Amino acid sequence: MEQTLTYKSIDNTVLDTLTPPQRSYWVLVALLFAGILLGAGCWTYQILVGIGVGGQNNPVFWGTYLINFVFWVGIAHSGTLISAILHLFRAGWRNPIARAAETMTVFAVCTAGLFPFIHLGRVWMVYYMLPVPNQRTLWPNFQSPLMFDVVAISTYLTVSSLFWYTGMLPDLATIRDRSHGLRHKIFKVISLGWTGEWEIWRHYTRGYLFFAALATPLVISVHSVVSWDFALSVIPGWHTTIFAPYFVAGAIHSGLAMVLTLMIPLRIIFKYEAIITTHVLESVAKTIVFTGLIVGFAYATEIFIAWYSHNPVEVESFRWRAFGDYALEYWIMVTCNTIVPLLLLFKKVRTNIRILFVISLLVNVGMWYERFVIIVGSVAHDFLPHAWGLYAPSLVEFGIMIGAFCLFFFLFVLFVKHMPSVSMTEMKETLQEGESHAG
Amino acid sequence: MPADTVSIMGIFSSEQRAALAIDGLRETPWIIEQVYSPIPSHAIEHALEPPKSRVGWFTLAGGIIGFFTGFFLAAFTSLRWSLIVGGKPVVALVPFFIVGFEFTILFAVLGNVLGLISQARLPRFETPAHYDERFSGDRFGVLACCSEDEQDELTRFFETNGAEIKTNDV
Repeated sequence: MEQTLTYKSIDNTVLDTLTPPQRSYWVLVALLFAGILLGAGCWTYQILVGIGVGGQNNPVFWGTYLINFVFWVGIAHSGTLISAILHLFRAGWRNPIARAAETMTVFAVCTAGLFPFIHLGRVWMVYYMLPVPNQRTLWPNFQSPLMFDVVAISTYLTVSSLFWYTGMLPDLATIRDRSHGLRHKIFKVISLGWTGEWEIWRHYTRGYLFFAALATPLVISVHSVVSWDFALSVIPGWHTTIFAPYFVAGAIHSGLAMVLTLMIPLRIIFKYEAIITTHVLESVAKTIVFTGLIVGFAYATEIFIAWYSHNPVEVESFRWRAFGDYALEYWIMVTCNTIVPLLLLFKKVRTNIRILFVISLLVNVGMWYERFVIIVGSVAHDFLPHAWGLYAPSLVEFGIMIGAFCLFFFLFVLFVKHMPSVSMTEMKETLQEGESHAG
Repeated sequence: MPADTVSIMGIFSSEQRAALAIDGLRETPWIIEQVYSPIPSHAIEHALEPPKSRVGWFTLAGGIIGFFTGFFLAAFTSLRWSLIVGGKPVVALVPFFIVGFEFTILFAVLGNVLGLISQARLPRFETPAHYDERFSGDRFGVLACCSEDEQDELTRFFETNGAEIKTNDV
């Protein structure tokens, strides 16, 4: 890979993606914006009429809003894995996809962060979650995992946004130095006057290392905290100590699949073949096999522990998951998350871009259903048989879900056409030193 | 800088050549004023042997402040409504440690950013006169100053090391 690239060719390839877009681009942006309007319209309708327009009702009060919240937080995690954890491990293959993965993280957390607001119903009561002084000295309960979540997600959004922006500074300067007029002025401001002086690099490399070192425990803590929203309750299927590592592995599994879903079209559209090579995609695919095996192990452990515990409620909960009303969803989850990724063990599959893309979509579908099975499947069938019930999302929930997906892709599509979607600086770092980049 | 000195910029096409020039310059009385690079080059770092950045102290301070802020915020708000919830003590160490942990990361990162922008003196809205736009692309710059009568010698030194010359009279 490195031998065919030069500093100049990296800059040219990335800067070519920032040329004025074609009409088809704006059509796509308009379609995604229409999807956002649909979601916003459904949410407005829910605010005006009441939370009852969603399908959540006794006994399933946590439906698609929570499923989507967990799904999008999970998607975010692999961005931090790639940008922070793999940076600490000096995995060179992460460099071409690090920027897009970080971008995915930031936009996925933004999308996820909307769902607790949507699920509140009376969204104007959101300040109850904030530790603000009030006349009744009524403060948030910090012993509750839901409050851990507020703190963790806010921290995650702040940290990943700052990490993302700091990492972009050298590239913003590259764009500033090769642009004119208004674009030059904008990039002059947002690059903070970056010059590449050694004095700046000295502090930057140190700061970046600390960013990575802090983001690593953070990313593990965030999905652990999300898992405790469930695990710290007493609901069968939720009340289990395996949840934190199980959720973290699942989050990275889904996030890596989303990286492939985004990278493969981006690679074709922006002609990034020399930068995002088959080797890079293959490395992501291998990591998906690894996370898929962890997730599969977690599924098996849950069933084993339910059987081994001799707890009739626990046994019934897992029997019902596999063979009850949501059996189809359960087996979609198992197939897409653990069996389909095993195909990536074969090099021919890993190196076939189309198959890789299809597998990434299937893993995304499987991970959405995993959250459905965990969240809905547990409360729908807990302790008391007369309290059992079923759940199906309403049209309003579908509308909001479509809106959320459109919001994520809308932000991503806008970003990749206006900002550097590949880190030019990190790509240059991976090049072999020599006359090859003399330009 | 004395009034009769000149600054000469050597622009290199490779980091190794820039690093060799820096090594050579450090053995002369000429002063290296600035080094520009499109990447955080290890070769240049080894040549310059810069002191360790102090950004980490800001990060550490932020982290310590963050932990105590988070923990005591949770403890304070809990004590304001002294009610036992779920059988846990009013000041519950385990859950409040989690709040403290998240605040540690948040404040450490904020400290890190503060350290970075204060130490690197960002933002700067004007680039120096001797700055070359290729420094953000594929060129490495070494700015050195010497007395006026040594100007030719320094220029020759840079040229011998494969540099393109850019002069700035001071």
